[in-house]
Amino acid sequence: MNKILSLIKTDFNTTFGLSSIAYSIKNKKNRWQLILFGIAMLSLIPSYILIVKSLSGMYDIYAQIGQKSMFLLTGFLASQILVFIFGLLYVMSKYYFSNDLAHLVPLPIKPSYIIGSKFVTLMVSEYLTSLPIILPFIIIYGTKNGEGPLYWIYSLLLIIFLPIIPLVLASIVVMIFMKYTNIGARKDLIRTVTAILFLIAMIYIQLQIQTIAQKSLVQGSDFLVNLIKDSNLLVKKLGVSFPPSQWAALTLANTSNLIGIINLLTFIGVAIITFILMIFLSEYLFFDGLIGNIEVSASKGRGKKIDTSDLSRETKPYVALAKKELIMLFKTPVYLLNAVGGVIIFPLILAFTNISGGDESLSKTIEMLSVDMGYIALACIGFISALGLINNIGSTTFSREGKCFWIQRTLPIRIEDQILGRLLSSLAVQVLGILALLVSLLFIVKLDLLSIILIIVMGLLGSIPTTQIGMAIDILRPMLDWDNPQRAMKQNLNVLISLAVGALYLGGLVFLTIKIIDKFYLSFIYGLIAVIFILSSIILFKVLKVLISKQFEQLE
Amino acid sequence: MLKLKNVSKAYGKGAIKAVDNISLDIRPGEIFGFLGPNGAGKTTTIKMIVGLLKPDEGVITIDNVNVWEEPLKAKSMISFVPDNPEIYDRLKGIEYLNFIADMYGVSKEDRRRKMDYYLDLFNIKDAVGDIIASYSHGMKQKLVLTSALLSDPKLFILDEPMVGLDPKSAFNLKEIMRKMCDGGRTVFFSTHVLEVAEKLCDRIAIINKGKIIALGTMEELRNSAERSQSLENIFLELTE
Ligand SMILES: Nc1ncnc2c1ncn2[C@@H]1O[C@H](COP(=O)(O)OP(=O)(O)OP(=O)(O)O)[C@@H](O)[C@H]1O
Ligand SMILES: [Mg+2]
Repeated sequence: MNKILSLIKTDFNTTFGLSSIAYSIKNKKNRWQLILFGIAMLSLIPSYILIVKSLSGMYDIYAQIGQKSMFLLTGFLASQILVFIFGLLYVMSKYYFSNDLAHLVPLPIKPSYIIGSKFVTLMVSEYLTSLPIILPFIIIYGTKNGEGPLYWIYSLLLIIFLPIIPLVLASIVVMIFMKYTNIGARKDLIRTVTAILFLIAMIYIQLQIQTIAQKSLVQGSDFLVNLIKDSNLLVKKLGVSFPPSQWAALTLANTSNLIGIINLLTFIGVAIITFILMIFLSEYLFFDGLIGNIEVSASKGRGKKIDTSDLSRETKPYVALAKKELIMLFKTPVYLLNAVGGVIIFPLILAFTNISGGDESLSKTIEMLSVDMGYIALACIGFISALGLINNIGSTTFSREGKCFWIQRTLPIRIEDQILGRLLSSLAVQVLGILALLVSLLFIVKLDLLSIILIIVMGLLGSIPTTQIGMAIDILRPMLDWDNPQRAMKQNLNVLISLAVGALYLGGLVFLTIKIIDKFYLSFIYGLIAVIFILSSIILFKVLKVLISKQFEQLE
Repeated sequence: MLKLKNVSKAYGKGAIKAVDNISLDIRPGEIFGFLGPNGAGKTTTIKMIVGLLKPDEGVITIDNVNVWEEPLKAKSMISFVPDNPEIYDRLKGIEYLNFIADMYGVSKEDRRRKMDYYLDLFNIKDAVGDIIASYSHGMKQKLVLTSALLSDPKLFILDEPMVGLDPKSAFNLKEIMRKMCDGGRTVFFSTHVLEVAEKLCDRIAIINKGKIIALGTMEELRNSAERSQSLENIFLELTE
């Protein structure tokens, strides 16, 4: 028990960088950066309030058809699915690619201890994902429905246990995945391919479950009668795709009777049992997937002569730089998961939420309102531009150089090439994001060719300034002193600051668009946005030139 | 060729001067050895020449190009090998070499010839298809040396280049330095191996506590010292 407590404590400290934050606060030079960061985060609040308001409208709709509990289900489903999807990424990098493993594995501790302690810290980080989503649902339902103290007590318990089941599932999936893909020299490739196949299969299965559930729901003429008879009908039918969410929704919808407490106990009980099961499984799965990760595939060519005439070719400096960035991104698992994984997964989440949203799904709404294709394309362009921030490539581009930064600083590289090359690498990854988005959209709407072209061209255009914002922030204070790539990307404050600043930029643009959307032709709005993208790209390019030349000189 | 004029650098808030008002004038075609005890300021000086550390005072020029005013022009004349090179370990050796060659704009023909020659010489030709993470310390060092030689630099700067090389590679490196100088190139390197400095260098500077305390050919150093004859004794005498 002492062992595990000490493991958890150490892991907490390194994960959340508590010591370094404390140090930053004491250190005057860093204090203003934290304050700036705080202000940037505060600026996100208005858009959050907007979202919460629209949720409140959603409650009213469900209340009208007598299916209030469906509102709760939506909240629980959304937060648990997100916890699961992020969980896959977190678990992978935390269990298998984090910097402490090299120290932990040789120690005389059982694999289950390592997994257990890592699980606990992951759970705490997952609250950051789940709380902003589930809290508005619970609060809106509770206040509008005038719920008593029991509701709030149940809610608290549900919130605490909420991340466990999805995270346990993610852990088991990843551990099995890592064990059986730990084969041979090509394991990185095998893993990437299997992961993508797995995601596609998952979406497909979800889709199947949903259609079956929806069909069985509306079958027969007594649907409306049933709807009135049973106020939890929708939850019971549509919650089958992820039963824990169903239990949670039923708990809160039935605080006054036995069904509530039974579902609550089921929710908590299953969480605890699955956790124990996962810990038990980790003894068999964990090390098998882990050992061998540190090895790199070498010497395939050793002994075999490599003819340099085939391999040496001339490339433009910025292309060479972009190529190097991309190789590093794709061959370093942590970067691959966060940057490339990110741009593929976020569009897929869009498809997911649509599929699991039941009747309220995006496609139905779009159909009903007969939304103009142009508006959808516009939203997609905003989404792609945001991906330019979320992919973290710009905001870590210099930090990722780490101890190799001397190479860039001693080579005769023009600053323009420096910017262009790094930008290109981000855009190349963005192309994957655009593809993932277009594929996800297949599930939701039918796009015409013009919209597709618009999304591709304008999406890439919008990714330029968002990537540049990240680059500007990263060069101001690159985090170079790391010995595990994990820290350059996942524990880098530049990532968060860039997200906040970028959100301000895009938020402003969205605000402007909403203000003028019904006053002008859509084509004019497209033109305007394109001009803004181009102008801000040019301005940021100039800013970057100054910043980079200054920082390349001044850094020590 | 390489000129340092009254160059100083202090770390932190200027408490201790790591390099204290040093001036050097290195001629073209010269192999210049830079000696000094640990912490004397060798690496600091080298970093200021290659653009990694901005001097507090003083001017550094290469062929009359101010290193800190026209960095691009200066850097295209230099190749630098640090004391403990960290390079992109996820790249294959050949990818790294091509990357560096692209940055210097080395033509396809040139880079192929150079790669063939140096990879053979250092005996790492078979490894360039592997990723750098799989290299031993010495192999990595030899790859960095190769990459630095691809651009046929006017000024070759090395920080303790002999550490970690096997005897044959160390011998080869010395030969390379000799040949470069015969071709009019300039080599500037720091070392702790006095024997190498003694045999190889045209001129030597000894730095201690940030100040140049001796400068000249081996002959001149011998004459200036009172009783010492070997470089080892001169070194010990001066840095006491
Ligand atoms: N990043 C740094 N921050 C603060 N002080 C430093 C830093 N790097 C070097 N110093 C100090 O500057 C002085 C000179 O260091 P330098 O690395 O130039 O020595 P050196 O001659 O290369 O030594 P060695 O033979 O051990 O490589 C030393 O006193 C050292 O402590
Ligand atoms: Mg040194």
